[in-house]
Amino acid sequence: MTDKKPYIQVIDLDFSYPDGTEALKDINFEVREGEFIALIGQNGSGKTTLSKCLNGLYKPTSGDILVDGLNTKKGSIVQMVKRVGYVFQNPDHQLFNNTCWDEIAYGPRNIELPDEEVKERVEEAIAVVGLPKYTHQEHPFFLSKGLRQRVAIASILALRPKVIIVDEPTTGQDAKQSLEIMNFLRELNQEHGHTIMIITHDMPIVGLYAKRVIAMAQARIMADGLTRDVFTLADVLEKTFLAPPQITQLAQADPTLGFDPGTLTVNEMVDQYLELVQ
Amino acid sequence: MTSVIDIKDYTWKYLHTESPALNNIDLSIEEGSFVGIIGPNGAGKTTLAYSMDGLIPGQYNGIKKGTVNVFGKEVESYNKGELQQVVGVVFSDPEAQFTAMTVEDELVFGMENIGLTIQEIRERLEWVTELTGLTDLLLKPPYEISGGQKQRVALAAVLAMKPKLLILDEPTSMLDPVSRKMIFEVLKKLKTDEDSTIVVIEHSLENLIPLADQMILMADGEIILQENTREFFNNSDLLLEKGVYPPGVLYFFHELHRKGLYQGEYPLTVEQGKNLLQQLVK
Repeated sequence: MTDKKPYIQVIDLDFSYPDGTEALKDINFEVREGEFIALIGQNGSGKTTLSKCLNGLYKPTSGDILVDGLNTKKGSIVQMVKRVGYVFQNPDHQLFNNTCWDEIAYGPRNIELPDEEVKERVEEAIAVVGLPKYTHQEHPFFLSKGLRQRVAIASILALRPKVIIVDEPTTGQDAKQSLEIMNFLRELNQEHGHTIMIITHDMPIVGLYAKRVIAMAQARIMADGLTRDVFTLADVLEKTFLAPPQITQLAQADPTLGFDPGTLTVNEMVDQYLELVQ
Repeated sequence: MTSVIDIKDYTWKYLHTESPALNNIDLSIEEGSFVGIIGPNGAGKTTLAYSMDGLIPGQYNGIKKGTVNVFGKEVESYNKGELQQVVGVVFSDPEAQFTAMTVEDELVFGMENIGLTIQEIRERLEWVTELTGLTDLLLKPPYEISGGQKQRVALAAVLAMKPKLLILDEPTSMLDPVSRKMIFEVLKKLKTDEDSTIVVIEHSLENLIPLADQMILMADGEIILQENTREFFNNSDLLLEKGVYPPGVLYFFHELHRKGLYQGEYPLTVEQGKNLLQQLVK
């Protein structure tokens, strides 16, 4: 976390659904431009609800969310979609046009951009996610899940939001596809300057990609810090029903062996092993 | 040991695709065994699962060669619904199998369909909701609960029918690590207490490996590797080439092996890995 100004400020946020279910309680945190954050926690802990608050789909029951200085209670949809984009867990919940091109153009058209600019943004988004040419006029539902997810991300990118929240980017993907998607998100983060927030249950992926972790349980934030540090907080992890990646568990298994309990990847573990045995 | 599944020279091509989804499959699965099937998306894993419970060829158009025997009988020779009483499939997309307006009705639906008595349905409902931790959700509509909860309902609905062969297609893809572990603990209980034969298709190997007697790697419609679990992972180079990443602990020892620093068996759990490290690091 650098000295950059916070782009998102969440202040004393509470959110209850109309049926009275308290989904978020006492939420306070800031997001700075350029961060790569993983939002983790048990199923039903409030992660998806929180992201829908961040992009203004849900308004706080009490408390405030400021995004680039704009309160989400006052921000119009047009203002919000330019700030925070949310990619659904299941791309099929968000795709509804007859061609990939129209799908990606839908957002820009909806905020009433001139045709020329719509075209420019669609082409840019297609280039960034690397959609092969044959897919452009194809119906999204004929594509693989990996490609559908790219279409879903492209349709968000076309709105050029600063922050992109991706809900479970690797669910249902095999290992190779998961790494492809995550490398792509890293590229958006490092080369295109997008702030990335992923919601995931895949702890090895968190260890490999996210610098910061926000861990939630029962509608509250239980831990917020560097991934390396959060994964060493055994009691917090237990409360949030999380477990660090298996390689981190191995590093922590016997403290007398001298491995760093904040080890995040197999490569880090191998390097330490080489030092320890030599 | 009698085999539950016996597949010979089996090829299946969906009607509108160019190449077969499954090609020359030979596979037998013994009663009471726990088998893990892994492989990249598009390898044919789900098609194989559908073939074992008669959804293929029953519900899909395509061209079939070879034979698929389940409990000693070809899938085609079962009467409608008969095979589904002994084979239960949990789909990777739980919503694809929901039909009822409450979780409770969802769980009862299958049991009513196979003609259980009300008493039996009550007992199994209690057993299965306890086992899968769904007691608080019984009155909720299955569409309003979280993705992970949906997955538990889907599993419970199938378990309630106590199938002799249970096939799970990515049963934990939406679950958090602890719920995921919980599902595998349920499977472990079924393996030890109920003698069920269990086939699990999974990308997440961490929990699967300690339970699986046997592992199968599929790619491009073929079975590339079928071995007892420990021997299976001696082929980790092949697995990595096919885009399958072993879990962290095993992967670490494989890396040591590649650097010529480790020669022994690969550990399958964190505990086994710890014990090995204690011997190696002095």
